[in-house]
Amino acid sequence: MNTVIHPVAPEEVMAFLDGELAETEAQAVSAHLDRCAECADLAERFRSTSESLAQWTVPPVPSSLEEAVMNEATYVAAGHVPTRPSLNLRLSMWSWKHWALGGGGVLATALILLAGSSAILFHSNRLAKQRVAYPESATTEAYYQAQATDQPAALEPRQSAVFGAAGALRFPALAQAAKASAERRGGGGGAARAESPAAPAPMIARSVSLSIVVKDFAAARASLDLILARHRGYAAQLTAATQENAPRSLQASLRIPAPELAAALAELKTLGRMQNETQSGEEVTQQHADLAARLQNSRETEERLRAILEQRTGRIEDVLQVEQEIARVRGEIEQMEAEQQALEHRVEFASVDLQLTEEYKAELNPPSASVSNRLHNAFVAGLRNAAETVLGIVLFLEEDGPVLLIWLAILGLPVFLLVRRYRRVRAKL
Amino acid sequence: MNDAPRDSETDGSQTPQSNEQLMVEFSRGQTDAFSALFARYKQPLFGFFRRRVADPAQAEELTQETFLAVLRAAARYQQSALFRTYLYAVGFKILRAYRRKAAFRATFLGEQPPGSEPVIDNAIETQALMRQAVGRLERLDREILLLREFEQLSYAEIAGLLGLPLNTVRSRLFRARQALHDLLAAPASHPAAQEFAHSKERL
Repeated sequence: MNTVIHPVAPEEVMAFLDGELAETEAQAVSAHLDRCAECADLAERFRSTSESLAQWTVPPVPSSLEEAVMNEATYVAAGHVPTRPSLNLRLSMWSWKHWALGGGGVLATALILLAGSSAILFHSNRLAKQRVAYPESATTEAYYQAQATDQPAALEPRQSAVFGAAGALRFPALAQAAKASAERRGGGGGAARAESPAAPAPMIARSVSLSIVVKDFAAARASLDLILARHRGYAAQLTAATQENAPRSLQASLRIPAPELAAALAELKTLGRMQNETQSGEEVTQQHADLAARLQNSRETEERLRAILEQRTGRIEDVLQVEQEIARVRGEIEQMEAEQQALEHRVEFASVDLQLTEEYKAELNPPSASVSNRLHNAFVAGLRNAAETVLGIVLFLEEDGPVLLIWLAILGLPVFLLVRRYRRVRAKL
Repeated sequence: MNDAPRDSETDGSQTPQSNEQLMVEFSRGQTDAFSALFARYKQPLFGFFRRRVADPAQAEELTQETFLAVLRAAARYQQSALFRTYLYAVGFKILRAYRRKAAFRATFLGEQPPGSEPVIDNAIETQALMRQAVGRLERLDREILLLREFEQLSYAEIAGLLGLPLNTVRSRLFRARQALHDLLAAPASHPAAQEFAHSKERL
């Protein structure tokens, strides 16, 4: 049959017989059937097939069925809760879609749980591996961390050099002043001796520890230098740290003349918000007095020895022995004088341990970590990971593929046969 | 075809109620409503299973199971669906479950798949022949043909029941009818078909 000749498709003839066409279409098909013998023949074939099929009758319903169903109907209609079908029946009503959905859901949940628990583990493992594998600068993180830690280290020597120089510049003057005061005491020995027991002014070595949080770090640095200059203090040691994504901080050990301490502290506290302050004073009067007494003794010994040397004449060995003794005593005296000076310096200059910390402000665009570099590094890492994954799969197949094939054959063949048999039986039903 | 119910067949005296109304009434506790429904559909549904399942006892059991399932779910029945479509949909599910179970048992437990009833006389032989001829159609084609010829469902109802596009239903039905016509008209080497030709003449 050719649809090119006929204006009506064979399927439409069938639909017409089944009463599935709209009225206008039905009229067109009906008109065509009147004219076209071929299509009428087709319609006749459909009719005869239906008639043949109609002979396939079914015996009447057994009465036992009616009884069983109507009994249940009265039971349910009486308001009883109908018995639920057994789990077995309900499960057997599940179509493959239900099973697939259920199984898929369980599998997906298990996978998500597995992935979730292993992701953290895997991630940390990978990071550790990367650090070991490319210690120089392969990963951005490692690279920037290294930079961040290097920076203050590079900064520190420079600054301490500057401050050290400043300290050295100022120090001679101070040292000279100290020496002068020491000489004064040494010169006016009698006066000092008369003074010390009469007025034992307490000697106190003061130390202060301050930690201050500042808003403007640079300004605070500048005013710190000013304060030091104004009070004739100096920094014995100073470390500044500028870390990536962290507040800047400064750790300094300052020396400030004792009389100026209170004023200097008050000014330091104006730098920012004070977090912590500790003051302590060590009483060194006794220590100093001891030292002074021993020094005096030694000086007297020296004087006596000199007198002996001048007044007496003796054998050459004796003279040499006295000179040796004088040299020894002289050494002791000088050592003790140095000790005394240090002690006095501690008393004259209070030590202030200062910690300046900047109030942390997170920066939106950390300047050092450039986006393009990070993108590049991530891209390289991604490529490497992909290559490693592919390689891993290939290696796995090479290593375990043959065994897998054997197992597939051992297990797959019976399954395949059973499935085929199932399909055949199913098709027959 | 003879199984297909007509609403006007029952309740001759009073105005016939629609299936859907009856179902709603039953869910309100009227047993009579269900007995009317049962009277309308017991034969069609029994035919539905009888033509699809070879074992008569099994067909009876499945019919009962379907009615019981409808009974039990009466409270949840939505009037939006036609009762006829609903009933066959339930029947279809039960049939599928039965087929799966039977095939599973035959495959894995070595049970014999249920065979056809023994041939006794000509009338039954005609049926056996029909079953055989229809059985040689492709599965989906066969299902569509049976639903159209015996359950008298519209193309749209068949499409909804089997989850197929309407055009597929139409083309497959066409194919099935052509194939069945050829199977019945050209008995070829089939001895049973020869006899069927006789019985056809006789009838």
